[in-house]
Amino acid sequence: MPGDVPPPESEVVAIGREIAAALPSPARHPGKAIDARAMDFTSRDAELRAALFRFVDVVPACRSVDDLAAHLTGFLGEVDAQTPPIKAAMRMGDSRAGRAALGTAAAAGVKHMARRFIVADSPAGARGTLQRLWRDGTAASVDLLGEATITSAEADGYAARCAEALDALTEIYRGSPPRPLLERDGAGPLPRANLSVKVSALTPLLRPDAPALGQEDAAPRLRALLRTARELDAHLHVDMESFDSREAITDLVLDLLAEDEFRDGPSAGMVLQAYLRDGGELLDRVLAFSAEHERASPLTIRLVKGAYWDHELVEARQHGWEPPVWEHKAESDRNFEALTLRLLAARPAVRVAIASHNLRSVAHAIAAADADVEFQVLRGLGDDLGHALAHLGHRVRVYCPVGDLVAGMAYLVRRLLENTSNESFLAEQARGAALDDLLAAP
Amino acid sequence: MTALPAFRNEPLLELRRAPERARLDDALRALDTRLPLRVPIWIGDERRDGDALRSTDPGTPDRVVATAPIATADDAHAAVAAAQAAFPAWAATPAADRAATLVRGAAWMRERRAELAALCVRECAKPWAEADADVAEAIDFLEYYARGALVLADAPPGLVQVPGERNTLRYAPRGVCAVIAPWNFPLAIPAGMTAAALATGNSVVLKPAEQAPGCGRMVVEALRAGGVPPAALALLPGEGETGAALAAHPGVATIAFTGSGAVGLELLRTAAAKPPQAGVLTRVVAEMGGKNCVLVDADADLDDAVPAIVHSAFAYAGQKCSAAARVLVHEAVADALLERLAGAVAVLPVGQAEAHGTVTGPVVEEAAQARVARYAQLASDTGTIAARRDPPTSPGWFAGPTVATDLPSESPVLSEEIFGPLLAVERVCDLDEACDRVDALPFALTGGLFARNPRTIAQVASRSPVGNLYVNRGITGAMVGRQPFGGNRLSGTGTKAGGPDYLLQFVEPRVMTENTMRHGLVVG
Repeated sequence: MPGDVPPPESEVVAIGREIAAALPSPARHPGKAIDARAMDFTSRDAELRAALFRFVDVVPACRSVDDLAAHLTGFLGEVDAQTPPIKAAMRMGDSRAGRAALGTAAAAGVKHMARRFIVADSPAGARGTLQRLWRDGTAASVDLLGEATITSAEADGYAARCAEALDALTEIYRGSPPRPLLERDGAGPLPRANLSVKVSALTPLLRPDAPALGQEDAAPRLRALLRTARELDAHLHVDMESFDSREAITDLVLDLLAEDEFRDGPSAGMVLQAYLRDGGELLDRVLAFSAEHERASPLTIRLVKGAYWDHELVEARQHGWEPPVWEHKAESDRNFEALTLRLLAARPAVRVAIASHNLRSVAHAIAAADADVEFQVLRGLGDDLGHALAHLGHRVRVYCPVGDLVAGMAYLVRRLLENTSNESFLAEQARGAALDDLLAAP
Repeated sequence: MTALPAFRNEPLLELRRAPERARLDDALRALDTRLPLRVPIWIGDERRDGDALRSTDPGTPDRVVATAPIATADDAHAAVAAAQAAFPAWAATPAADRAATLVRGAAWMRERRAELAALCVRECAKPWAEADADVAEAIDFLEYYARGALVLADAPPGLVQVPGERNTLRYAPRGVCAVIAPWNFPLAIPAGMTAAALATGNSVVLKPAEQAPGCGRMVVEALRAGGVPPAALALLPGEGETGAALAAHPGVATIAFTGSGAVGLELLRTAAAKPPQAGVLTRVVAEMGGKNCVLVDADADLDDAVPAIVHSAFAYAGQKCSAAARVLVHEAVADALLERLAGAVAVLPVGQAEAHGTVTGPVVEEAAQARVARYAQLASDTGTIAARRDPPTSPGWFAGPTVATDLPSESPVLSEEIFGPLLAVERVCDLDEACDRVDALPFALTGGLFARNPRTIAQVASRSPVGNLYVNRGITGAMVGRQPFGGNRLSGTGTKAGGPDYLLQFVEPRVMTENTMRHGLVVG
């Protein structure tokens, strides 16, 4: 049983090299190489990148191909560096026929990109993908995309979709072949069906200055989902979102799981964000909870860096607050490693899922973990890493967004932003940074 | 004195953290034990208490928050006379010293953030986040105008110079400034108008809103604690007649007013009607009402637009000058918007201002409750009620948030300022039509636009007459220095509170030209 002592650097580097060697070579995946280059290209010109993001974001609200083209040229018109491709697009915007062609092509491009990140428009539609992943030795957690919840009807609708998804996932996995690595760990059996839910979609009342309002309003819906998950023997994972909702989400999850009826199930989890300066204090609280409330299946903690970094920084700066997040990537990376060690040391009171696309962070966790740790990657962004880890015999779960492309566009934009932001690990990787640099201690 | 650091907005309290909320709750409990506050007529060092005027908690009207005497015309005369006597010395005080008093006044407020916010909650039923923003804005005004006055004094605009003459421009204070303040920003607005006048060397008589004398007293206390000579800043609690007597006084050189259009127009008439013997053309700085419209184009993201509209229309029960009163929505998304708006209003936190999370508290007084009810009835009689919240069963002056639609174009609900939680939604076939409707209004204070095509945004911006246009965000919450605030047309005299040119309203420019040529030699 490892304590929270850092693993030897040499071991981290050796494991990192091993994973890197297992990553598919770009030469064998020409399509992906092009995608990677395209992202690299857009990330160099901040204005063009902004224009394309704004376009991707507005696609669902456009009413015709003509409207699409008008928006695209509207955004491109604001880019200072009018390169030949942009000029050509702007010229197409001058005629009806040109707009039709441009709008059609742009819509197809966005859809193509969206399909890389969004598995299907419904859980049932994801059947093929999920079964294929399972057969290949990879588990999944499904996330239902949708519009923001601002009414009770929308919260009810989301909760109903979640309940249906639990049914559908149970059914999808029913006939699947056994995969012992994915179905049991040191703490006991692991459910096949795994759904991630967002509290912001379960209530219209999440208010930063009154977390109790959102907590009370979401509780009945989440309680019903926990019951469904328990009946179906599925895992329910509550995602963490921006810092504004952290208190509400944490209180909601821990209060519900403390209720007697959930002592014996379902398997459930929450998220720890390493980019938060006080992430360690939240872990203290979660570990105290786990010590106090013995559960048939221990709480799963998914450790992430956090996906709202820009939002947190901008919001804090606008209000004159100390940002709740670390301002330098290396600080988050160091915190990630520290929290990894603490989480691993806390097993089996908790289950640990390491969710990072950073080769160094993953290698560090493997070096520290011996076994009994899960790795999670995002569909469309972490596929290669997931394959490599599965190939090396690790338990891998792919976070799979499901929903129609229209409603999923906000998700897509956030993922794209993450992928092309300057400090992103994937961006560095795409630019061909040296492996030694990528594996260096943060 | 050393130069002031660059202006920076006072950070809002981080109410998403539980300890901050607990601190406010404690402050409110502490305040409650001290009620009612006594607010004097306060001229120089003379204080006279009284209880002819009482401000009460709009959420619990039998709770008296502050008591004050009602200043008479004689009191107004005495206050102006004292301010006139104090004026020369204050005007002669170096700008840097005046600025320092404002900065110290800001520090006094900063030390009492929670206490002042609690008073806003009690006296005006501002929900915590709004109350805190009020205090922060008051601090901002003091800090911002302190710096602005230094710039006016130390670096006035340069003039054309030719050999043999020296031309200089400087700004001198105008004299006594009457500040007539509203209750809806009971600290920030009186603090802002008063600080602008004081920073530039004027003496001030402050008449706080009759609904908020307690907050008015705090503004005077802060500035006097900062070092403003007592004679240069008088407090004159009272009702409308007190303000009228003050404004009509021949010794008042400037009237700084924020409030209703009717009173603003009356003040402009009063100022113009002063006899020539008064020897002054009284300047009026007036911020008045609005009928603020939010335009929603077909490409708007309703996930953003709906919450922003709800907050703009219903936060603080719609009682901000900047609040949204009308939504003009493209017909392609009108049904979706209305459905989601109605659903969002159905879960809007309505309740006592002191409950964390409350968005819509009670309106300020019984008359306001009756006024909102009257317009809501009119909307119901002539249009469709898309959403309506029953107000809490409580003795407070609650008005249920309401969304009306299908109103006839000539409906008063679409043209008159209601100043309460009633929002009208209209369908338009495109944004040109929406702009036409906005243009037909006599008001031009704030406006909003939800649209994503940059060309649309540019077109609407070029046509919009409003003083403050907000794009893809809520239309309230202007920040000092970031969104200089004020309206055009009947919404105000076109001045921008919290902006770089606001202080020019409180000064008169004086130019000196000196001949520097003597016997063919330039000697200057």
